[in-house]
Amino acid sequence: MKRSVLTATGMAVVAALGLAACSGSGNGGDAAPSAGGTADTTPVTLNFTWWGNDDRAARYNEALELFNEEYPHITVNGTFAAFPDYWTQRSTEAAGRNLPDVMQFDLSYLREFNQSGQLLDLQEHIDSGAIDLSGFDETLVESGVLDGKTIGIPTSTNTLGMFVNPNLLEQTGVEFPDAETYTYDEYNEFIASVAAAGQSTAEGYQIYGAGDYTATFWFFVQYLLQKGITPFEEDGTLGFDEDDVVEYLEMTADLRANKAVYPVERGVALKPLGGFTVNESASEISWDNFLAGYVADSGTENIEITQIPSVEPGEKALFFKPSMLYSIGANTEHPEAAATLVNFLLTDPEVGRIFGTSKGVPADEEQRAAVETEEGSVDAKVIAYEEAVAEEVTETTPIPVKGFGTIEAKWLELGENLNYGTITPEQFASEWFAEAEMATM
Amino acid sequence: MSTTAPATSPATSGRQGLPTAEHSAALRRRNQGRSRARSVVFHVISLAVVAVILYPAVWMFVSTLKPSSEIIGSVSIIPTDPSLANFTKALAGIAGVSFWQFFMNSLVLAVGSVVGITLSCSVSAYAFARIDFPGRGLFFTLMIGTLLLPFHVVIIPQYIVFNQLGLVGTYVPLLIGKFLAAEAFFVFLMVQFMRNLPRELDEAARIDGAGHVRIFTSIMLPLMKPALVTSSIFAFIWSWNDFFGPLIYLSSPDTFPLPLALRLFVDQTTVSDYGAQMAMAVLALLPVLLFFLVFQRYLVQGVATQGLKG
Amino acid sequence: MTLTAEARATRTPASPSPMRRRRKAAETRAGYAFLAPWLLGFVLLTAGPMIASLYLAFTNYNLFTSPEWVGIENFQRLFQDPNYIQAWKVTALYALIGTPLKLVSALAVAMLLNNSHRGQGFYRSAFYAPSLIGASVSIAIVWKAMFIDNGIVDRAGQTLGLPAGGWVGDPGRTLPMLILLTIWQFGAPMVIFLAGLKQIPTELYEAASVDGAGPVRKFLKITLPMLSPVLFFNLLLETIHAFQIFASAFIISSGTGGPARSTLFYTLYLYFRGFRDFQMGYASAMAWVLVLVVGAISFVMFRTQNRWVHYSGESK
Repeated sequence: MKRSVLTATGMAVVAALGLAACSGSGNGGDAAPSAGGTADTTPVTLNFTWWGNDDRAARYNEALELFNEEYPHITVNGTFAAFPDYWTQRSTEAAGRNLPDVMQFDLSYLREFNQSGQLLDLQEHIDSGAIDLSGFDETLVESGVLDGKTIGIPTSTNTLGMFVNPNLLEQTGVEFPDAETYTYDEYNEFIASVAAAGQSTAEGYQIYGAGDYTATFWFFVQYLLQKGITPFEEDGTLGFDEDDVVEYLEMTADLRANKAVYPVERGVALKPLGGFTVNESASEISWDNFLAGYVADSGTENIEITQIPSVEPGEKALFFKPSMLYSIGANTEHPEAAATLVNFLLTDPEVGRIFGTSKGVPADEEQRAAVETEEGSVDAKVIAYEEAVAEEVTETTPIPVKGFGTIEAKWLELGENLNYGTITPEQFASEWFAEAEMATM
Repeated sequence: MSTTAPATSPATSGRQGLPTAEHSAALRRRNQGRSRARSVVFHVISLAVVAVILYPAVWMFVSTLKPSSEIIGSVSIIPTDPSLANFTKALAGIAGVSFWQFFMNSLVLAVGSVVGITLSCSVSAYAFARIDFPGRGLFFTLMIGTLLLPFHVVIIPQYIVFNQLGLVGTYVPLLIGKFLAAEAFFVFLMVQFMRNLPRELDEAARIDGAGHVRIFTSIMLPLMKPALVTSSIFAFIWSWNDFFGPLIYLSSPDTFPLPLALRLFVDQTTVSDYGAQMAMAVLALLPVLLFFLVFQRYLVQGVATQGLKG
Repeated sequence: MTLTAEARATRTPASPSPMRRRRKAAETRAGYAFLAPWLLGFVLLTAGPMIASLYLAFTNYNLFTSPEWVGIENFQRLFQDPNYIQAWKVTALYALIGTPLKLVSALAVAMLLNNSHRGQGFYRSAFYAPSLIGASVSIAIVWKAMFIDNGIVDRAGQTLGLPAGGWVGDPGRTLPMLILLTIWQFGAPMVIFLAGLKQIPTELYEAASVDGAGPVRKFLKITLPMLSPVLFFNLLLETIHAFQIFASAFIISSGTGGPARSTLFYTLYLYFRGFRDFQMGYASAMAWVLVLVVGAISFVMFRTQNRWVHYSGESK
């Protein structure tokens, strides 16, 4: 881990030196014929913002330094926030028409911001070549197109996976089910067996099989796809009803009742960590790019990614989701410079190396190739997983409805209440739909 | 005012009967003995309460010297191996912004509040206390009314307007109310104080031909020093501790005052680093505690008088 | 008296009238000039926004599109919203349990300190200190660290036979934890009580002693009635204060109002609706309901005060 960061820095320095020499002779005369040939080098300052933790900030700072070496006339002010705050801030800025020039964006919020015309149509800059999408999968680029406007470009992709902690399996003596064919029932049995093993960590905390996975909205979306239900209709309405929600939540009802899932009390106390990252829970469903974070938080390299369970054996119905996109605020005063930054972050191989798979598997071919895939490394595991499940990816990305951020957060909140036993699955469903009705209006 | 025990006992005994010399001497001795015993009991109880009350604060201070792993479960207030490593981490700041930047932001806001409040509230208070004009009674009632008004009811439209003016993200929304005497508590405090100043002073000045501006600046302001000091201290501390205002109006870490920075620090360091959190919490409180130690008499008196005049 | 009045009456229409009127006008001008900062602030930051939020309470408004009139729908929705009802429950419990406990502690300590022993200043300041810092983010962080899983409170509780587990993650114990935090800040009302106690004439107690009254009777018959204005003031202030709890609950629940909505205080929920979901109409409706409730509480307290509050002069 540490070594790869070091080498990345080393390479960055080498690259920077090379570029400096280059710019001395011909002022940015390399790959980017920025904005129609006439290299406009009047000093420009861009605001750029992203969500994430310290680790991501360090990577961005490194990438932005590289950018500054190559485009010394563009100064980038980078800021970041945690995911929930991030959207509060963006909504505020959108209302005041002063969004940052460049933003990391999430699929969930595209529709909302598009409706009020807050995001720049990037097509012009793609056509001019300022943003070079030759190394991108076309269907992936499509996910950033709404109402015929390209308002976001995916940086990378992720898909759901099952994270397993082999150390805990060994300690509890419980075997993980056959990853290719196991169903939710078998996964539940696994969870129950781990709890029944009654093993504890060195600090005296009991080891569990998993937390209550029904508490995350995206997993429910995945479940619906496995059942052949379209979660979001084209007209922006929901394709499921309260009964579907109740049925889903009932799947883990016994586990909750028998206290066989990771206790919510402990989970709440551990925030922002969780049972899995403190090595007290043996498995967790999540986005595959979370591996880097899990390894960093849990302090063990020994974490595996394998496939998620399904409703019918073997029918995983996975989908690739753009893990994040880059968008430009419609109010920007420097669209060319902003496009230059977006292009650099999206396609520069060095940037690909800096981020590895921490944002997901890079969308750009060259960036993907630049990711170090040393045997057993985090990045290698993530890429190997995506290659292994490629056949199971049978669904297109569900484009979330307006207000998705709110209803996703509501789901999580209600899931917590469900685990505390303060509400029933029926109450969960009716409260969630009441919220969804208000949020999607 | 303050009646001391030895002073009252002879008085009561005097009322009861005839105090001979030796009688009262014996009484005094007995009283002295009893009051010493009482004094011991008083101090024992009071110190016990002090110990309980100050324990969390002491624990916080000591925790900053311990490694994170030793903080959570440790009741002890003596660190086994004290180190300043936590402070080094805290001073490094978060999100690429150093602790001192946050500190300066807090300071700008707090000093701005103090200046705004002392200026605007004293001027307005003078109108309420010393000038007779139609509508004064009504406005005074309205001003008292705002003391009880939940801030929730104004915060949303205020936010919308500041947002439309492009002022969200700046300190303007946080400071403008201070310069427009919107903190009724301070206006009220100063009005009460001014009302207790002898009217003869300004009447004499009026006869000498002084206008309100001169009376205010050269007579009232110097006399109001205690009220101004009390207001300044409270204004400073409240601004320093304010969380809600900065939370809704500020979004860029380099503009954050300490409470927001602290929150960022707690939420964004993925591994709960309690030692560094405590160190930053202590650093954020230091100015307040310093103010408290220097001005405690003003503070306590401010609370006492403001309370009685309610 | 009558003479001067007559004289004035006859004199006013005559010569000094314009001068006096001019002087009066000058006073009015000066009054408004001095009041200008407050007046401007009142109109722009209080009265205007109040009217605006009253309007918004009847609309749907998310900052992006213009407000849409929906009548009383927001209010109807409020009372069907389980989170809103929960917010009232949590806030009311906090105010109803926390405030009396805080005031009782404050009064008890004030009576302890109401004597002539040395070290008064020290004790008073030491007890007052938590009031000054209690609402800060720093203290919320300390509180959280103390009450967390395996933290010092948890361990102490276990030795006393309480069930193991942190208070932070247990919905049944987060409210008691925050109530303890507010009781801890009893210093401010204590200082006010102490000032009140010092104003009670000692003769009253002496006279009662002569009549053979014990400490309990003295407390009930002298201290409480004489202190009732101060008690009234403290009660009103602290109750209103309790409705505003925000920073500590926000920090302790990591900005969620959890676990299981057990710290979803009124202000927290309003913040979520207004500044996280940008449902400005809904949040405005919430704000107005709060104004009405606080107004009603203040009204009832002021109305009933002559039944239990004795102002000096009328009491013995």
